[in-house]
Amino acid sequence: MGDRYFQHTLRNGLTLLGERMPGMVSAAMTLLVPAGSTTDPLNASGSATVLSDLVLRGAGSRDSRALTDHLDSMGLRRSSSVGVQHTRFGSAAVAQRVLDGLEVYGDIIRRPHLPESGFDAARDLALQALAGIDDDPRQKLMVKLREWHFPFPYGRNSMGTVEDLERMTLKDVRADHASRYHAGGAILSLAGNIDFNQIRELAERTFGDWDGKAPASFATRPPPGRVLHEEQKSEQTHIGIAWPSVPETDPDYYTVRMAVEVLSGGMSGRLFTEVREKRGLCYSVWAGYSSLKGSGSIMGYAGSSNERAQATLDCFIAELHRMREGVTADELERAKIGLKASTIMQGESTSARAGAIAHDFFMRGRIRPLDEIKDAIDSVSVDQVNAYLKAHEAGPFTIVTVGPKALNMP
Amino acid sequence: MPLTFHYKQLPNGLDIVAEQNPDAHSIALGLFVKTGSRDEDQSVNGVSHFLEHMMFKGSSRYTWQDVNRIFDEIGAKYNAFTSQEMTGYYANVLPEFTERALEHLSHLLRPAIRDEDFNTEKKVILEEIAMYLDDPGHRLYEKLMDAHFGSHPLSMSILGSPQSIQKLQRDQMARYFQQRYGPGNMVLSVTGQFDFDQIVKLAEKYCGSWPHVDAPRVQPMPTHKSQKIGMTDEKLNRQYTMAMMPGPSAQDDRRFAAHVLADVVGDSDGSRLYWALVDNAIAEEADFGFYPHDGCGSFYLALTTDPARTEQALKIALAELEKAKNDIADDEVERARNKIASGLVLQGEIPLGRMRSIGGQWIYNREYRSLEQDMATLSAVTPQSLKQLMRDFTFDPMTIVSLGPGEKSK
Repeated sequence: MGDRYFQHTLRNGLTLLGERMPGMVSAAMTLLVPAGSTTDPLNASGSATVLSDLVLRGAGSRDSRALTDHLDSMGLRRSSSVGVQHTRFGSAAVAQRVLDGLEVYGDIIRRPHLPESGFDAARDLALQALAGIDDDPRQKLMVKLREWHFPFPYGRNSMGTVEDLERMTLKDVRADHASRYHAGGAILSLAGNIDFNQIRELAERTFGDWDGKAPASFATRPPPGRVLHEEQKSEQTHIGIAWPSVPETDPDYYTVRMAVEVLSGGMSGRLFTEVREKRGLCYSVWAGYSSLKGSGSIMGYAGSSNERAQATLDCFIAELHRMREGVTADELERAKIGLKASTIMQGESTSARAGAIAHDFFMRGRIRPLDEIKDAIDSVSVDQVNAYLKAHEAGPFTIVTVGPKALNMP
Repeated sequence: MPLTFHYKQLPNGLDIVAEQNPDAHSIALGLFVKTGSRDEDQSVNGVSHFLEHMMFKGSSRYTWQDVNRIFDEIGAKYNAFTSQEMTGYYANVLPEFTERALEHLSHLLRPAIRDEDFNTEKKVILEEIAMYLDDPGHRLYEKLMDAHFGSHPLSMSILGSPQSIQKLQRDQMARYFQQRYGPGNMVLSVTGQFDFDQIVKLAEKYCGSWPHVDAPRVQPMPTHKSQKIGMTDEKLNRQYTMAMMPGPSAQDDRRFAAHVLADVVGDSDGSRLYWALVDNAIAEEADFGFYPHDGCGSFYLALTTDPARTEQALKIALAELEKAKNDIADDEVERARNKIASGLVLQGEIPLGRMRSIGGQWIYNREYRSLEQDMATLSAVTPQSLKQLMRDFTFDPMTIVSLGPGEKSK
């Protein structure tokens, strides 16, 4: 792996990843715990979200306030979120502070108090966040689009459901912690001004005797349908479109990424050009590749005032169909330069790199050096993209709309 | 991470401020103009932001297709923004594209404003306004600024209203451009990897011929009165409440203490409002912050709650503000300073963030502050400075605006 990257799986199944970034003063940590929305217990969706709050309310020798004060006194910039496959904890600061903070994260993950006093509040906050979705039609749209595009349990909303949250008890959440906060499948990545021997020692000391393995995912079942309209008295009709694509590990992955860049990379992308710039139909329109382990999708969005939403949907779909006619050499060249530049610039952010190497490992079982990514982008030819687009027409589409009136579907 | 500052003024008055970071992988370039909605009169409200869009529609040499295509050909991360007081245009590119990026930015700022493009883009602006009308937080903020600043120009909406945008004529926009976009009213901010002599040469080549324009800004002192305004929208689930009170300006040395106070009282983690309102789930969000403006400034309070808990939450928040006037402790100030310092270190590593910070600072103060200076100023902030700050700015008068479902609430 050379001097830049480091990968080591502990005996308990936790994988430690490192990236040394010369010139950086900071470091960033990403810790992925195998508790995502897909493995929320049946009838307890939102459990990982409640847990991700509750574990921060006291751990190890510190109560809730002492824990927060301690992390703040180190100046750690922190985040936590629940995704499809993991609960993610992040921190960034001057490098030594992040390393010092690791021990505290050991407490948070392994020895949280999960106090009774905090449970009601954590669940209440989750219910409030859920109620807020109805006030934000764009967020509501994306939640519904995931539910209707992905097979269960991959489309489950990490924020949970009102019914499940209301019946959830502290006992359930404690049992969930015991079942899912395990070393097997966990990923700890550090990027920035770090020393590999030091992080290895730290990881062994903090997580070496952590054990167990999270339960396997549930059997999948197809989503409820392909077309959904949610009626809402909104100013705009919000349109979400999704369709299946190749997984990240597929040989055609970069071919697909290039096609998506042509469709919606920069402002010269086709969707922006046709829907916004030429016709003035909307302010926001985009499509992007979205990845799960073993499968990929393309998801898109447009929002237009209600009387123009039908024209927007029609124009969006027409552009997707036009892709089968292929892309030009100039379009591909722009797509390559854009993707390479963002890859290189990601090397300026310790947080971005800590996240990227953790993602890479989860998806592919290894870290890809930046040069390998650049080479993969460069190797894609116009012929390859066009042959792919000819053989794989976009679709079948899942289309969700949020607005006052349903649209005519293509 | 040795950062070096460079400064040069071109004969036409364009200031160039640059912070060189030899470890950066990219260069960020931004042209910032000291103009925004506060420099508009009612008859052209929204013109600053609409003009920002029109800059991407081409110059005498380029069409809008060219503008978008060229940015994408150099793999730029690029965008623009408009605030009440400033409009900025920027691109982040790999160092090999420095000249093309600066040349292109210079074309952007000499717009043709063609009738046909103006009429198409008007539709996009109306869509942007519609999109924000679906965002209760934005509606609340607009009403708050309008009520708090009254007849002061900071009350002007950045986007304008559908009516003001519909009425706006192409020639009014051209006139506004001529009056406001002189090089003496701008700064070119550059950060990352570059050779400063080359930057100066390129700026002279591409921006040196821009004619000087006097673009004064009126600076009335705002007058405020305490007031409480309720807005009802029965389709909402949640109640959104903001309060605004006078604070230090962007030129005021007390602004550093104000940032620390904002962190102590209102940070999302571990602040006084967090413990008083979010930890116990009385509010989903409770934020206290600081907006420095040109010549004046504001503190604000923002709450998201169940409608039934709004009064209780507001009462607690206001009591916390009163309490803070007398009992800020050493350790909480130290924690806030550490968090802010970490943020500065992380920002210093990323050219794009640093470019915006340096450019903005120059627009307000014609002053460059190194990270070391900011750190030193920060470490000199004590509980005593916060106490003095709250004697000078007593959170009175206060404008309170609340938006929610009204009577249907429990």
